[in-house]
Amino acid sequence: MSKKKDQEKFTEYSINTDDAWEIDDNTMSLNILDSNFNDNSEICKQTNAEVPPRTANQQQSSTVVLDSSAVRKPTDVNSSTYPGIIRRVDDNQNLKASLSVRYTNNSNPNSFSTANITRSNLATIVDVDQPKQNKFKEIFDQSTIDLEKLRKTSWNGITKQYRAQAWKLLCGYLPPKVERREDTLTRKRDEYWSYVSQYYHTRTDKEHQDTFRQIHIDIPRMSPLMAIFQQVVVQELFERILFIWAIRHPASGYVQGINDLLLPFFAVFLAEFINNDVDIEHFNIDSLSESNRRIIEADSYWATSYLLEGIQDNYTFAQPGIQYKVRTLEELIKRIDEPLYRHLKNQNIEFLQFAFRWMNNLLMRELPVRCTIRLWDTYLAEQDGFSHFHLYICAAFLIRFSKDLLREKDFHGLLLLLQNLPTQSWTSNDISILTAEAYQLKVMFANAPRHLSNS
Amino acid sequence: MAREDEYDYLFKVVLIGDSGVGKSNLLSRFTRNEFNLESKSTIGVEFATRSIQVDKKTIKAQIWDTAGQERYRAITSAYYRGAVGALLVYDISKHNTYENVERWLKELRDHADSNIVISLVGNKSDLRHLRSVPSDEAKSFSEKNGVSFIETSALDSTNVEQAFHTILTEIYRIVSQRQIQDHIGPISPNPPIHLPPTDPDFKSRQNTTCCS
Repeated sequence: MSKKKDQEKFTEYSINTDDAWEIDDNTMSLNILDSNFNDNSEICKQTNAEVPPRTANQQQSSTVVLDSSAVRKPTDVNSSTYPGIIRRVDDNQNLKASLSVRYTNNSNPNSFSTANITRSNLATIVDVDQPKQNKFKEIFDQSTIDLEKLRKTSWNGITKQYRAQAWKLLCGYLPPKVERREDTLTRKRDEYWSYVSQYYHTRTDKEHQDTFRQIHIDIPRMSPLMAIFQQVVVQELFERILFIWAIRHPASGYVQGINDLLLPFFAVFLAEFINNDVDIEHFNIDSLSESNRRIIEADSYWATSYLLEGIQDNYTFAQPGIQYKVRTLEELIKRIDEPLYRHLKNQNIEFLQFAFRWMNNLLMRELPVRCTIRLWDTYLAEQDGFSHFHLYICAAFLIRFSKDLLREKDFHGLLLLLQNLPTQSWTSNDISILTAEAYQLKVMFANAPRHLSNS
Repeated sequence: MAREDEYDYLFKVVLIGDSGVGKSNLLSRFTRNEFNLESKSTIGVEFATRSIQVDKKTIKAQIWDTAGQERYRAITSAYYRGAVGALLVYDISKHNTYENVERWLKELRDHADSNIVISLVGNKSDLRHLRSVPSDEAKSFSEKNGVSFIETSALDSTNVEQAFHTILTEIYRIVSQRQIQDHIGPISPNPPIHLPPTDPDFKSRQNTTCCS
């Protein structure tokens, strides 16, 4: 790969993520770079020494990022001069509001319950970013989708109109060649429904009834996430998908939390069949034809299967994937936010006590559904997004609340805050910041694995 | 002033039992007086606290709510360490959740401190018409196993205060008795099971506890 191309790549990345730096807020964005690169110059040197020059790309990106001046920090908040970035004025207002409700000592963290939110979970899925829309149109107008281009464009968020198609492509479910799609989809959908007729009746068998009972208990309890789960048809759809997946994957089976992971796929694939102005949460699923419901169900099954394939060790016995990731997160935080790490340790907080859920449910319990969907645009666009990049997202997420956490002076206050981090008013902008910060971390650490082990 | 100073005793209590029996709602009813008919399933463990008064002493309960699903057992059992009390919850309308009580007792025997105070809690007592576990049966079972027994309803609040007060008071009696006897307590470094009484002149600030 040529250097020139890499430079272009980085420029493109920095333009794509410009919106992350646009928000001029002292409490977030580039503080990783600004403070820690100075403090940890030793580590930086080490990084450079340790990174083997495997590809020019890796070298290029790490050197570019080390120079923080390379990342533009626009001063004009309302600037729309960057290609692909047009933000409505009220978006900025939303953002201001979201920043002002940061946790303070006076408020009771327990009052942060998703049930209190009146705003629709999915309100911000409707995206009116026209230049971005055009970019996607250009990609989708081709008879063969350029997957690499789709990845790059999707990384920074997908517009609602193209999201379902893009997700299916990024999952490897939808073939990039248009002429192959119909056959493939018909075959895969039939395959799912043949599993259903083959296995679903076994849910009452002795060997499977515990699995089904657990699923059956958990699905109605998803209503706090999304009102649509009050509809029996939706509950049954989820039960079928999860049961079929569980018995086809006996190494892990069904584990609580997997049900959450199905939700974004379902919501996005359902949205494809709904007019823009109809609220998905309160959409009456019976108004869809049965054939359309069967399509949504089969597609959700395959997309969820793809996702779980990459993180199955999160759910096998003793959940080794999660234990490993929680340990790695702890190491990361130790490197990038030592004061926070020391504070948590001094108060006897163990990372497993709060980060277990972050890994098990991919932060879905910590973020509004609309934010999870935006985050998954990036996860699906990243290589190993759910299994690997998620770790850096978790690190960026934790240090976002560093100041609030440092203000908590005891174990109880800390753990209550850690379990109820105030994200209710978060928008896709917050996720864009998070993904950009996580990207920085990934570049810093991913090419120097020894950093994480020689503590 | 840090909250750490605002109590005389800190007791760690775990809530265990099958999935869906109402552990999280018992906890939210006790710590925040809240109930959700459809509350999200617990992933791993969740945590809340509340302080109560016994003998003019402030007892802070640090309550760990655990996920009921079998797969989480490897993770959740680590939280039994240092616990001085356990509320073992079943659903009076679902007999299988009662049948599993023995397995949960075994879990405690295998992973918890041998002196742990256990209380058997039959929750959802409001579902009278669906009852499948007779009170007498559960009561005699609890006597046979040397644990206390109470029926609760997190939905209509029946006996929820009572259940927590009973177990916390029992722990308090044991701990204060032991302190008089041998002047030491079972201190585990992380987190502390209980603390010796703080300066008697120090007035607890009730209104600043995080969960009241």
